[in-house]
Amino acid sequence: MVERKIKTVYDVICPFCGTLCDDLEVDVDNTTEKVVEVRNACQIGTAKYFSSNPSEHRYEKPMIRKDGELQETTWDEAIDKAADILVKSKRPLLYGFSSTECEAQGKGVELAETLGGILDNTASVCHGPTLLAEQDVGVPSSTLGEYKNRADTVVFWGCNPVHAHPRHLGRYSEYVRGYFKKDGRNDRFVIVVDPRNTHTAQIADLFVQVNPNEDYELMNAIRATLRGVEIEEEEVSGVPVEKIKQLVDILKKARYGVIFFGMGLTQTLAHHRNIDTAICLIRELNDHTKFLITPMRGHYNVTGANQVFSWNTGYAYSIDFSRGYPRYNPGEFSSVDLLMRDEIDSSLIVASDPASNFPADSVKTLFKYPLIAIEPHETPTSVFADIVLPPQMAGIECVGTAYRMDSVPLRLRKVKDAPGDCLSDLEILERLLEKVKEKIGE
Amino acid sequence: MSLKDCTLLTGRTINQGVALEGGKTTMENVRAAAICAFDKEDFKKLDCLVGTPVKITTNFGEVTVYSTISDEGPHPGIIFIPMGPWANQVVNPDSQSCGTPTYKGMKATVEVTKGAKVLDALSLIKLLKEA
Amino acid sequence: MAEIKLKLKKTHKFPLEADVISTDVFAGKSNDEIKALELYLGNEVVQLGEFFDVTGKSGDANELKIIIDGDVSNVKRIGEKMTAGEIEINSDIGMHVGNQMKGGKIIVHGDADDWAGAMLKGGELIIEGNAGHYTGSAYRGFWKGMEDGIIRVKGTIGNESMLWARNSKKANKWPILYCGAAGSFLGIHNHGGTIIVEGDVDRCAGADQAWGTIVIKGSVSRKLPSYKKVGEVKEVELPNGEKIKGKFIEYSGDHSVKKETNGRLYIAA
Repeated sequence: MVERKIKTVYDVICPFCGTLCDDLEVDVDNTTEKVVEVRNACQIGTAKYFSSNPSEHRYEKPMIRKDGELQETTWDEAIDKAADILVKSKRPLLYGFSSTECEAQGKGVELAETLGGILDNTASVCHGPTLLAEQDVGVPSSTLGEYKNRADTVVFWGCNPVHAHPRHLGRYSEYVRGYFKKDGRNDRFVIVVDPRNTHTAQIADLFVQVNPNEDYELMNAIRATLRGVEIEEEEVSGVPVEKIKQLVDILKKARYGVIFFGMGLTQTLAHHRNIDTAICLIRELNDHTKFLITPMRGHYNVTGANQVFSWNTGYAYSIDFSRGYPRYNPGEFSSVDLLMRDEIDSSLIVASDPASNFPADSVKTLFKYPLIAIEPHETPTSVFADIVLPPQMAGIECVGTAYRMDSVPLRLRKVKDAPGDCLSDLEILERLLEKVKEKIGE
Repeated sequence: MSLKDCTLLTGRTINQGVALEGGKTTMENVRAAAICAFDKEDFKKLDCLVGTPVKITTNFGEVTVYSTISDEGPHPGIIFIPMGPWANQVVNPDSQSCGTPTYKGMKATVEVTKGAKVLDALSLIKLLKEA
Repeated sequence: MAEIKLKLKKTHKFPLEADVISTDVFAGKSNDEIKALELYLGNEVVQLGEFFDVTGKSGDANELKIIIDGDVSNVKRIGEKMTAGEIEINSDIGMHVGNQMKGGKIIVHGDADDWAGAMLKGGELIIEGNAGHYTGSAYRGFWKGMEDGIIRVKGTIGNESMLWARNSKKANKWPILYCGAAGSFLGIHNHGGTIIVEGDVDRCAGADQAWGTIVIKGSVSRKLPSYKKVGEVKEVELPNGEKIKGKFIEYSGDHSVKKETNGRLYIAA
């Protein structure tokens, strides 16, 4: 028998964005355990698979800061020191979790509860406002497969899937041929609302250019027009009233419509109120036709983090365990606000890079206190951390569960072994939890 | 030359997405995310070449990045920096008590600063560590 | 009237959660019992006496006044769910002051942080400085916010104040908020709250208002397009019978909620 040098793993789930493409094919060199080829993935997904190969940027052993330098150490010492930091803290922040699998997230919840700390995931800086709005006014939503097979009117509001979710258009929302939409792109009317003429807008049927920070007023005018009210102004948020009427007409004539929205709504002023009014718009559109709404979630398993946190604590993010039971209040217990008020005394960052992604002033506070990073690569967070615990990359080097942006759970696959001494996120958190319990005498 | 009263937006680009996967500390990330994209007509007012460093100032900070012309225009008055450490030097950390900082829609001014240095991700974040 | 004086004697890095500082909890307790009450600092439980000097003498909740001195700007939840008596705070105050209060009175001689008087069910909250975001608002996910009582803020209040306020004609409950100026989304999802603003208001006042009355004696930075002009009035009568004189333009709305609505927004002409 000929020994094959390269193995191919089929139907791999891509652990990059919330689209969770499930048709990747990955070639792995059997002798070196390196990814040599990725088929079907987008540029970013492909880059993620290649980044799992050993390189100067990949950590293979636990590191600990001694005399100002990160130095290799043993797992026992690293876990012991990390547990020490956490146990001594009065208000530890556990943040991240969105780029790892659900089992590890569950362990994170247990660790936060044991420590009486604060538990937050990256929704806090991206789709947190979406969750707030959903709690206020509900959300009529569906799975992506439904949209693919039925939607004839697709609105992208404040999102740019060509860049952020590159295969979304091809798999679910624009070009794909659906069961009832056999002609693919020709069977769909695509509308983009954005302040910039984005690449997504350039291939749309209708582009509505809205002023930055004024989405709420535009949506409000659309809702009023839908109710049969004449708008007194000539233009709203930079959009002429005539165009608003045209847009309302198109939305009403849809047989099955969907709004996808992104950071353009959640990270501008009015935050969750933009989503609130978008959901109310959907409610009103359903007086005329069938319309649904789905957020374009960023990290591949941020939806999973929200699910896991919710079924364990009742809340999706920004959870405070300091009184022994979970409490929830974004703005009070959310990471950036805590950091801006200098309210933490240590942090455990799991599969995330807040030093790159948080506003500068909050990063300054983050660095003032001991920082433990569970992170496979050199990032601005891990390079300045006090302890680095290198994990296997979920979906590449270990299995697990992840939730797609429409809350459909999918099982991640393992394609190769991790380099060096890397452990899975789950195992790292388990060992950390065990050590913490030992230290506080539980 | 300078531009006043611009609105700064930030967000994902595919190049920035590729660069952050495993290469956050590399020059690839600098090329992808340490840039500011201008509307074509706005860029003429700056009277400089593509790639000239520009200083972006908002009420929340300042950062020097390379200038480029947006291929997602026209968007007069709007400037765009891909999400990442450079953009986050100038975004509004205030969440108005909803938890999510205001990453988009800050008022900004732009100044051409020929010869100014654009820092790589680690040098930039190191400044925050030392602050 | 019985009086208890508290004075903060120690600084603290983390917010101190002091929902026990309330007339109902203090009523009938000796000073030693009050000193033994539990506060939360980070994930630790501490005793009130560790952080506050306690003087004076307690009595019946109705007849009790608590006076708080020292910088309590990072002390949260004072007067939570209080039903009677009075609290006077001679400083800025932290988050959630007087939240879910049912009766009595709280006076703050300074600024209040976010969520002051959140979900107020009765009584009176007076803030002499500014107040933060979500003043008199519903907590996350609640469809009934402030149900009764009065909040008076001399200065400016933050965004989304009086969110989901809800009146009840049957029970004669009329939640009212007076303030000097306000941030954006004032009275959003209003269901019968009354808001009177002396000065200017940021964008989107009265967004998604189903019914209720908002009177603005200054200007609104951006009026919502879904509000329609009804006419001009020289006097506004509030549901509680109070009359406000002045020339106002009357708008009806929010029409994005209903085509016909008796929600009203008055903006100075």
